[in-house]
Amino acid sequence: MAQSKKGKLNYRCPSCFIRDIDIDMFYDEKKKEYYCLRCCFHGSEEEVLRLNDMLKFRYKWMEKRVLDFGDDDKAPKVEDYKGEEEK
Amino acid sequence: MGKPFILNLVHRLELSPEYSQKTNGAGGKEDAFTGALTSESVEIFKTQQRLAHENGLKTTIQLTYASLFSDECIELAKADHEKYGDEISLSLLGLPCPEFKSKYKTKDFCIWMFSEDDKRAIIDDVFGLFKKKLGFYPHSTGSYYLDAYCLNYIHEKYPSVKAAVATCFEEGPKAYHTCNNSWYTFLDGGPWNPWIPSKENTHCPASDAKDDCGIVCIPHLSRDVMACFDGNGSNFGTHPQNVLRGMIYDHKRRIPYLYNLIDQYRHLGKWNRYAYNMMFVGPGWMNRSGRWEVPYEGLYKSYEDAMRYYGKLKKEGLLIDMTMEEFADFYRIGLDYQEPERCLWKDILYGSTKQYFWYLDPHFRTCLDMNQGGAMIDLRPYAAKLPWKVGIGTRSVYDASYPYLIQANYRAGYFTHYAGEGTVKSYKVKHGSEAYDGCLQRTMARCDVLENGDTLLTLDPVTFAFSDLSCDVVSRFLFKKGEGKIEITREITRIEGKGEVEIEEYFTGAFGINEYQSDMSKIVLTSDGESGHQEIHYAYKCRALHEEKASQIAALIPDVDTLLSMGSDEMVAGNVEEGYAFSPCYRLALSKKFTSKGELRTWLSLRKAS
Ligand SMILES: [Zn+2]
Repeated sequence: MAQSKKGKLNYRCPSCFIRDIDIDMFYDEKKKEYYCLRCCFHGSEEEVLRLNDMLKFRYKWMEKRVLDFGDDDKAPKVEDYKGEEEK
Repeated sequence: MGKPFILNLVHRLELSPEYSQKTNGAGGKEDAFTGALTSESVEIFKTQQRLAHENGLKTTIQLTYASLFSDECIELAKADHEKYGDEISLSLLGLPCPEFKSKYKTKDFCIWMFSEDDKRAIIDDVFGLFKKKLGFYPHSTGSYYLDAYCLNYIHEKYPSVKAAVATCFEEGPKAYHTCNNSWYTFLDGGPWNPWIPSKENTHCPASDAKDDCGIVCIPHLSRDVMACFDGNGSNFGTHPQNVLRGMIYDHKRRIPYLYNLIDQYRHLGKWNRYAYNMMFVGPGWMNRSGRWEVPYEGLYKSYEDAMRYYGKLKKEGLLIDMTMEEFADFYRIGLDYQEPERCLWKDILYGSTKQYFWYLDPHFRTCLDMNQGGAMIDLRPYAAKLPWKVGIGTRSVYDASYPYLIQANYRAGYFTHYAGEGTVKSYKVKHGSEAYDGCLQRTMARCDVLENGDTLLTLDPVTFAFSDLSCDVVSRFLFKKGEGKIEITREITRIEGKGEVEIEEYFTGAFGINEYQSDMSKIVLTSDGESGHQEIHYAYKCRALHEEKASQIAALIPDVDTLLSMGSDEMVAGNVEEGYAFSPCYRLALSKKFTSKGELRTWLSLRKAS
């Protein structure tokens, strides 16, 4: 079997990403899957995309826009992002 | 707010970006000085310039050694200088090119890692070529990091240089880990906003005109000072690629986090004489084959969006775009070397109420975590102005980090696994057999700049609840301008119940530049007070000193040329503890007992030991 190659995009291992390691995955043509050199993760492109969505779980304000940083000892005031800054 | 918000937008013209050379992966060409990559880099640079200009922003164009061999690049820079007022500057990044390789016979590309002879030769070469091609010497320069040797040499030899990109906030072991232990930029411990470095060490702000290295320095990007301390620095900064790398975008690839980050930097004007942002991009991240999980269209959109937001702020009169040279002139107007940089920062990503207070001046840099009751989680003794040489031929070939005494993430902090202690400064409140640590008191703080220039951080009250007593404690940190001293007050504002309460103010320290502790046996711990002078020469023997009425307790740490001391004008009880092999730290503590309302006021001081 021939050597593995990069996929069309630079998919990183979702499992390593979550532990703050950026490591590109390689694509196994025979098994039709991406796999990691650093850990045992392997998965299809669909699975990688789904996990990439999932690993944003910690960014609870990823879709919020700060309206006001407010008083020093209070949390910023935010609202759901409506896309004002983007076309 | 009324304080100016200044943007330095820097585009560097790398023709063969070092991080682009191997991104083609297996089967790609190992050495990527190909014509295709060069012309793609120039096209990306042109796109970045266009997006800035379309939004009314001027840039600083940093030519690289490689680009100076290209007449096309030089003409592009000259044309944009004429038309838009962009500054033509010179970067010490982007050294890789066939001419460089044949001359220096190396793949090294970080100027601070070369030998002193090579540093001088390369700087002369790059500056000389710039002069030859442009007819003048540049007014600004930069790299990811510039060590004191390079800055001093550049200032002496090329006094036209007023500004330089000279560090990257909290880029060190965290960046190394994130890059699968392959990216050797160890620059922890420096400023997050512009500063004038000391002649002795780039990280330390100059104390006075004599110590001024002659160049106003700016950090590489404006980074989220919380997210970059807690996690990977390369995901949270004012480079759209950082935000994409962190996958902080929704399904439409919208990036409100970037705007929130920019806005929080604007907000820092509240406690400083101006607010600042820096965006520093090369062409490598915006290439046609995409970057991380994002195709070219997404990369383009992120840069377009970022430029549009800065442009919008400018149109609203909320942003002043400056070239690096202009910024250096601005920075020096009314400069006060002892003026600190203050940064009360709120979480804008996880949606918690976590809050950090970063503070730096020529004496130290520190960070307090309000989510841990105001515990000190980072401390760098700038007062020592360590002449830390870096580069081939020195003791530290690649590691330019400034040492810490406390780094609560590298060295545990409050939470340890069953045994030992971590580096942190906090307080304990004790009653009978019960004791609680301030680290478990989540709170928030207010920051006030006093008329004499001191900085007062006041934490919201927290409650300590014991089985038969409860009390409220307010913590205040007074940063004394120009003294290298913090006065810390723990005030009991309410007490209900019977018996005694003891407050213990403690400092658990170490020293180092990474997660591991080197030998501590040069450390001397001392106690002075009613029973005279006592000392422990560190030998991991778990010994302790006690003084009922202490005037000062201290740790002398020759490895980082620092004398750390604590005391109280009231002569309270002092305890000094040596660590042991499994817990290589030292612990200094002052304590006082209360039966009614009152306060424990102590000070913490940092001085150069020698
Ligand atoms: Zn992995």
